[in-house]
Amino acid sequence: MAEQFYTVASDSETTGDDKAQQSFPDVAIGIDIGTSRCSVAIWNGHQVELLKNTRSQKGMRSYVMFKDDTLSAGVTGGATKEHAHEERDILSGSAIFNMKRLIGRMDTDEVVQASKTLPFLVQTLGIGVRPFIAALVNNMWRSTTPEEVLAIFLLELKALVEMHLKHPVRNAVLTIPVAFSRFQQTRIERACAMAGLHVLRLMPEPTAVALLYAQQQQQLMHDNMGSGIEKIALIFNIGAGYCDVAVSATAGGVSQIRALSGCTVGGEDILQNVMRHLLPNYDNLCDNAGQTTDRIKSMGLLRMATQDAIHKLASQESTEINADLGNGLKVCKLLSRAEFEQVNHVIFEKCERIIKQCLLDAKLTPEDINDVILVGGCSRIPKIRSLVLGLCKKEGSYGSIDDLEAAVSGAALEGAIASGVTDPSGSLDLLTIQVTPMNLGIRSDGDGFAAIIPRNTAVPARRDMLFTTSQDNQAEALVAVYEGEGKQAEENHLLGYFKITGIPPVPKGAVEISVCMDIDAGNVLRVFAGVVKPQGEATPPFIEVRMPTLDDGHGWCGQALAKMYGSKLDLAVLPKKLQP
Amino acid sequence: MISAPPVMQSSVARPALAGFRQAASCSSSRRTVRCAVAVASAAPAGRCTLYEVLGLRAGATGGEIKAAYRRLARERHPDVAGAAGDDFIRLHDAYATLSDPDARARYDRDVVVQAYAQPPAARTNGVWGRPRRTWETDQCW
Repeated sequence: MAEQFYTVASDSETTGDDKAQQSFPDVAIGIDIGTSRCSVAIWNGHQVELLKNTRSQKGMRSYVMFKDDTLSAGVTGGATKEHAHEERDILSGSAIFNMKRLIGRMDTDEVVQASKTLPFLVQTLGIGVRPFIAALVNNMWRSTTPEEVLAIFLLELKALVEMHLKHPVRNAVLTIPVAFSRFQQTRIERACAMAGLHVLRLMPEPTAVALLYAQQQQQLMHDNMGSGIEKIALIFNIGAGYCDVAVSATAGGVSQIRALSGCTVGGEDILQNVMRHLLPNYDNLCDNAGQTTDRIKSMGLLRMATQDAIHKLASQESTEINADLGNGLKVCKLLSRAEFEQVNHVIFEKCERIIKQCLLDAKLTPEDINDVILVGGCSRIPKIRSLVLGLCKKEGSYGSIDDLEAAVSGAALEGAIASGVTDPSGSLDLLTIQVTPMNLGIRSDGDGFAAIIPRNTAVPARRDMLFTTSQDNQAEALVAVYEGEGKQAEENHLLGYFKITGIPPVPKGAVEISVCMDIDAGNVLRVFAGVVKPQGEATPPFIEVRMPTLDDGHGWCGQALAKMYGSKLDLAVLPKKLQP
Repeated sequence: MISAPPVMQSSVARPALAGFRQAASCSSSRRTVRCAVAVASAAPAGRCTLYEVLGLRAGATGGEIKAAYRRLARERHPDVAGAAGDDFIRLHDAYATLSDPDARARYDRDVVVQAYAQPPAARTNGVWGRPRRTWETDQCW
């Protein structure tokens, strides 16, 4: 982000002014916080380099372990050396994971509801506030928040980079899912600030991959292997928590994102579906309310066995699951690939839907696509591969990109570019033209939603729209800003609200109120609103509001506003014929 | 689709919006061209046609429009230029219209129609600008 929003005490030594005096180049690092695994990459002066932890892993498990007074994140992996031990510890209830699925979500969210089957405590009240989460420490639930967990993880990640670079690190480019709301983005920024990192940019995951692709295409052209004409790529990314699609047009080092779409579907859902299939009374057994150490252990064993089976099904037609879950519970089953695909058909349908949507939004047909890029852990599932390639009418996918390292590499590239690094070979001579992933607009005409900046608008963007009052002599109007794809305001995320006051007393429909939305280069959203007609001395000044203004509990706000004011402060879209 | 009003252009020169970091130097809402083909010479300084924004003549091909957009984006995008995004927004708006065959045809036609329909004085005085694009074409690439 262009401006620093949150400041942290420990940040005070390095403010923007003395940056120039620092002896080391302040190049932003790239971080890919995955639901399941995280990785970090740097620009080492010549190329992107992925860093390994002390256990030589590039992809580090995303979790934070709470033990007595010590906390340890998955970056170092604590004291455990073996993979199986680590997994068992993570599933013991003492570790918090899947932070990316929980961050910035309310307890009415179905993703939070589904997270109640995880081994740590996720408590919900279903009233639109943040869920209560806690880790098991010495047989006691110790409360924490997704932001705190993420911050602890990022702190360890930062230490790893600093150990490698031997100088402090301040700026970072992080990849985020396309489906992340602006509210969730502020949560990520807060977690980074808690860890002493300044977010230079939050990049939708597939656009980071698109940037890496643009670099490779540019390189090919330099080597006289490419033709230099525009290439259309469809990037499909599916990890443990989210699924995203981007269509990009690449030529001459410019990666122009044509369309984005995403949803909260991933390996975690696939895993839960299979567990439910293997153990019919799964939901009763892992209900969060009755969590006991024994049950947590059984569920952990089931989770590990299921994960293992899913991995095997990527290369085998069927696999046998034999797991003793303790307490007389046993799972013995031969799981075939066809069965696996049947159990998860809803997920595959969702993937299909967002690909079709993305192509439609980009106004392209499968024949226009030059390359299909598959990334993310779950893109290795044969059904997903065949589904994406089938929709794009392609025989094979683009091979020159590592499916697990692409996003973080793209983030590190963007970090170097945004930090002003240039490379004599021209390999950083790149530009990404981003788009907004969701409609941005305000509530109007009752519960309707008027999109002012439609999705897939190039950023930076500025659009305005005229509204009018819905009542005679209406002196005040409420501007409630929403983000999302729903036709009704309440189906979307409420970002914030403010009032326009001092509207001249005239019959309804007689005033013209302009609402302008502006997204700057740093992706900061500002809303300007005010009366434009009638003009005169009596008209109040315009109002500028930076969004989102809401913090927690935003689930309540929309309803509370509706209850309190009804239609008294409503705005209506100004009908076309009345406009000049 | 919401029935949105047509005045979507960000750079509509309007007194009340003067505070919105307006870059009115090249307001596309006040196009005063006599004929789509003669745009370059007809428009006085300070008011550009969409073709001029891209540095092209009116008969430019789709390929030329794309290439010009990319070339100029590499100069004007705030990531490169480091400044506010007004230049880029204007560039992108021009590209969005001209790269869509339907929107481009409508634009060319409206420019011609307007040039014949209005006396020269009325053409320069319109504070509100004349909506020339629709919501649908505005969001396309």
